Amino acid sequence: MAASIRISVPGTLRYRGVAVRVVAEAARLVSGSGGRDPKNPMVDPLMDPLSHDIRHPFDTAVVSAFMEIFNNIAIHAYQRKGGGTIELDITPSKDALVIEVRDEGRPFDIDDVAPLPTELDEESLPEGGMGIHIAKTMLDEMTYAPGPPNLWRLCKRLPATQVAVGRS
Amino acid sequence: MGNFDVQRTNDDIKLSIRGSLDINSAPALGEEIDKLVATRPATVTVDLSSLDLIDSSGVAALVKLYKGIRNGGGAVTIAGARDQPLAIFKLLRMDKVFNL
Repeated sequence: MAASIRISVPGTLRYRGVAVRVVAEAARLVSGSGGRDPKNPMVDPLMDPLSHDIRHPFDTAVVSAFMEIFNNIAIHAYQRKGGGTIELDITPSKDALVIEVRDEGRPFDIDDVAPLPTELDEESLPEGGMGIHIAKTMLDEMTYAPGPPNLWRLCKRLPATQVAVGRS
Repeated sequence: MGNFDVQRTNDDIKLSIRGSLDINSAPALGEEIDKLVATRPATVTVDLSSLDLIDSSGVAALVKLYKGIRNGGGAVTIAGARDQPLAIFKLLRMDKVFNL
């Protein structure tokens, strides 16, 4: 059984960066992308640490999805007012990352999310409603159970061809 | 001090965005976009080569810019998207609309 990482942050956007960094590091444990990019070893140490954390497609998918779920909780569940926490239970294994996200805010009606337009052109470019679509598409599994506590379960698997790389 | 720079040359504008464009940083850019759109520039070039991370709020801000400038008769070029931001634009199928 893989060990879990558990953290709790206040349910406001102020703490989003803290949570995203923890999730990014957990993703790197699975993808094996923790080392400095050999093609770009002279990364400026003053740059945002995330700037070179999420180039691996696995990390990109996990971080992109998690950011949207955190946004959703802070904005919809806690309505930008805080007053509660966001509990993260992150389980990295050799071939997958599972993130359970719990909050005590208002339940979210995930079935009420409108699909993106099938044909996209200048006129139909959406200016909202993209977050859940991004999260769902980036992940292999995403479920939501209204609470309390509300529970998001996010799962991303490392492609079989990359598992050995992730172990090295 | 935001994570973007605006350079004006006559009727042309270059907007460079760096770091992370997300729900925390997009509102400040949105205010700048409102100002840019109001001047009805002929061309706007958006340089994303130093942008590392974007979320749906950041995408929404760029869509707002794109639509606002185009509706005012101007042209918008979005260039330099890479890594996570490019993956997001492709997922949303905006890469073709923006010619990325």
